[in-house]
Amino acid sequence: MNSLWFVYMGFAAVLLFVGIYCLLTMKNLIKLFIGVEIVSKAVSLVLAATGFARQNILVAQALVVTYIVIEVSLVATALAIIINIYRHTNSLDVRKIAKLKG
Amino acid sequence: MILQIALLAGLVLFSAAAVLFKDLIRSAVCLAVASLLLGIIFFRMGAPYAGAFEISVVAGLITVLFILTIALTRVGGDVKESKISSLAFPLFFVIFLAIDFFVMKSIVTKISSLPGTPETGSFGEVLWNRRTLDLVGQIAIIFAGVFSVLALFRKREHK
Repeated sequence: MNSLWFVYMGFAAVLLFVGIYCLLTMKNLIKLFIGVEIVSKAVSLVLAATGFARQNILVAQALVVTYIVIEVSLVATALAIIINIYRHTNSLDVRKIAKLKG
Repeated sequence: MILQIALLAGLVLFSAAAVLFKDLIRSAVCLAVASLLLGIIFFRMGAPYAGAFEISVVAGLITVLFILTIALTRVGGDVKESKISSLAFPLFFVIFLAIDFFVMKSIVTKISSLPGTPETGSFGEVLWNRRTLDLVGQIAIIFAGVFSVLALFRKREHK
């Protein structure tokens, strides 16, 4: 593994930190989903960077394309769920979705 | 290498801006710029298909979906975030950067890597011939997404 791979891993770790911080501290549902998107960016960066460093960029590229397609499916479903939650509660506050709380 | 590091730094900065901005439209635009930078990084790595997908689908389509959702939930959708989380972010960010800089390399170098051989062929051969089973799974996930969106937006029956 070359030194550039460590740089990629370092930046991917920082991206992961930003995403997880967003997920832990924000209350707006759309903001929380932006956090999920940032985490997914970190994952696709790790996939591509590892393929690049191992000279297996074609497989890594195919995995990233697959990941992006799955991500779109996830985003469409999650945003539809967010709109439905908004219709029911008239708010995007995650604390108001506590009906199943034990 | 300097340009690549600048692109990575821009990716992290725009992602952090997407988290910290209070206005959701600005956050969505920052996320789109971050996707654009990631797409350019993919292009520079020699992964043009991944870069094109990242720019067209993530920076384009997903941003449109985000902005559409923000527009649909505009009235009453504002949520007050705590100020402490925004103020504490730079502190935690610097602490994490220090940990990342000093500890991460030693952790990553301990992971032993399997021997690999440089691959040959085209992207199409790798995508369609070497990875057939997970493509079936991918198609199933796309259908699951389509059906779940249809189910979530179906018309309610009025009694």
